[in-house]
Amino acid sequence: MTGLFAAAPSAVSFDTPANIAFAVIAVVMVIAAVRVVTTRNVVHAALWLMIVLGGNGLLYLLLQAEFVAMTQFLVYLGAIVVLFLFGIMLTRAPLGRSDDLDNDQRWMGVAVSLILLVVIGYSLIKTYSDDKLTFGAVRNAGTNAQTQDLATSIFVDYLVPFEVVSVLLLAALIGAIVLARRD
Amino acid sequence: MSLAAQLVAQVGAPVSFRGPTIDYHALAPEIVLSAAVVVLVLLDSIKLERAKAYMPVVTNLALLGALIPLLTLAYDGGTRALFGGSYVVGPMPLMLKAMFIVTTYVVVLLSTNYMAEGDYWESEYYTLLVSSLLGMVVMASSRDLIGIFVALELLSIPAYMLASWRKGDVRSNEAGLKYFLMGVFASAVLLYGMSLVYGLGGSTRLEDIGRVLADAPTDGVPVVTLALVFVVIGFAFKVSAVPFHVWAPDTYEGAPTPVTTFLAVASKAAGFVALISLVFYAFLPRADIIEPLFFVLAIGSMTVGNLAALRQTNVVRMLAYSGIAHAGFMLAPFVVAGSNPFRSMQSIVVYLVIYAAMNLGAFACVIAMARQTRSAELKDLAGVVRSMPGLAWCMVLFLASLIGMPPLGGWYAKFGVFKVVVGAETGLGYATAIIMAINTAIAAYYYLNVAKTMIFDDPPEGAPVRAPRTPPSLAAAIAISLVATFAFGILPGLLTNVTSYGPLALGG
Repeated sequence: MTGLFAAAPSAVSFDTPANIAFAVIAVVMVIAAVRVVTTRNVVHAALWLMIVLGGNGLLYLLLQAEFVAMTQFLVYLGAIVVLFLFGIMLTRAPLGRSDDLDNDQRWMGVAVSLILLVVIGYSLIKTYSDDKLTFGAVRNAGTNAQTQDLATSIFVDYLVPFEVVSVLLLAALIGAIVLARRD
Repeated sequence: MSLAAQLVAQVGAPVSFRGPTIDYHALAPEIVLSAAVVVLVLLDSIKLERAKAYMPVVTNLALLGALIPLLTLAYDGGTRALFGGSYVVGPMPLMLKAMFIVTTYVVVLLSTNYMAEGDYWESEYYTLLVSSLLGMVVMASSRDLIGIFVALELLSIPAYMLASWRKGDVRSNEAGLKYFLMGVFASAVLLYGMSLVYGLGGSTRLEDIGRVLADAPTDGVPVVTLALVFVVIGFAFKVSAVPFHVWAPDTYEGAPTPVTTFLAVASKAAGFVALISLVFYAFLPRADIIEPLFFVLAIGSMTVGNLAALRQTNVVRMLAYSGIAHAGFMLAPFVVAGSNPFRSMQSIVVYLVIYAAMNLGAFACVIAMARQTRSAELKDLAGVVRSMPGLAWCMVLFLASLIGMPPLGGWYAKFGVFKVVVGAETGLGYATAIIMAINTAIAAYYYLNVAKTMIFDDPPEGAPVRAPRTPPSLAAAIAISLVATFAFGILPGLLTNVTSYGPLALGG
């Protein structure tokens, strides 16, 4: 956690299982992410999104951030995607295949995505290609240290943002009810 | 060992959580505002029709209540760094907080009659207004990526909903939706940039990030450029800088006018406050990236904003485009941020405060006049000086201040920016100054055109000779803005004295 420019930690041996797992998850996530925007069925898009978000959670597990991983599963898979599905079903959106999901700006979108991919890919590879990512040995095995660190950050260092988020949720709730209700 | 003892041993021993020491005095304004949000929600659940009329009064009392700890903190002096320096309460944050609170106070005065006479959800309106204000107040103190992001969301999300508060009107719905979609897109860009910044700096605290960036090699790390550009672009949307301004005119025109005032003054200022924190506390070591980027944003905003404002026939839309142009002026000192950080920061803050005062006044006059004309089209305002002489002349004063005529506040704001930009003696600085001078002339034309239409043109057929009385809350709003505009113009020392105690001056 010392940043890019600090001295690199002493290299740990190449962790083959973790790297293979990462590669598999990453490929699945990329395929699913492409399907989210190319599928012509809204419900399928939501389900593909579930795979992307789930893969993200698995990556957190690989990094031994169990608490973050579980939060990711509960909040994103359990709540947000389900909310999407409810939203699709409760509104009068078509459940099956619909051809008007596409529009004329699709090639523009493809071009912008490709440019962004090249720019971001180039910068990341150029900057980090010499760094070795180690999935590291478990810190303080069995003590749940990372979750404790997280709790300390939230309730000590980030206390103000944490409290502010609760006002944010209250405001969002009130505003959404006013805008959505029938007068 | 009994089971209970085992449990106690397991749960109690290794987990020794020590809560942070909290400086409640420094956080008092935020606490008062949070309490105000809760009180407003509870007041609404009391089903008394009478309670409704007191909503604006309760809101304004709460805002005044939040000003009290600001005064005591200012009296105490000094800079308080909370939570390891991620939340700073010093003279400059205090002044910005005061500006946000007073601005919201005036917006509530503007809303009182507007909300009561239209078919709106009143108490929810004030709740959202105060929660958005809370986000701005937190923004003024945040010196941490997470704090800045959370504050940005808290100030934006209620604003998205307030923009579409006129539920029955398609244009208001469009305003809210456009603002929301653009806003979340900008948030996504910003968040990606912030994640890269965190990866580079290894900390969310701006101070630490600045230190890492200063030590970093300048070649061979394109990620630094990428991260900084993404973060700045994220806020360029918020402050409606060209080319990220397309949402602003439609949103400003469609939203209820008091909300437009709030967006154009407070919300924009909050975006600038975030930019100031990020640039001057973290990104300054890489001025070579920041300066050209801001050069493009600044000259683009002032030129495009002014040229578009020339062609507007609606005063609110014209003020929206002129707001884009003013954003360009406020971005200009960032172009020379590396040469003289302290002076550039000071000139931006001074511009922000003065712009808030005069723009609030201009919007207040438009709202007051539109009560009679029922529209903000320029042709309907022709000759209003006959029916509403007081309002028309006040409007002329605010327009003169927006042009930058002494002794009104606007001249000092513009003068400060010019002085900093030229004083840096860099090529980009001189180029910015020349473009600023041309734009000041263009701006004068369309502001004077509005003044001319109001004073010299003949009123349209069937316009009433005598206007209804301006409600006291609107009159108070105009009076507050007018006093502030004059005071800052005649005694600019009021602002510069406070800003010169900024954390930069203290070596923070």
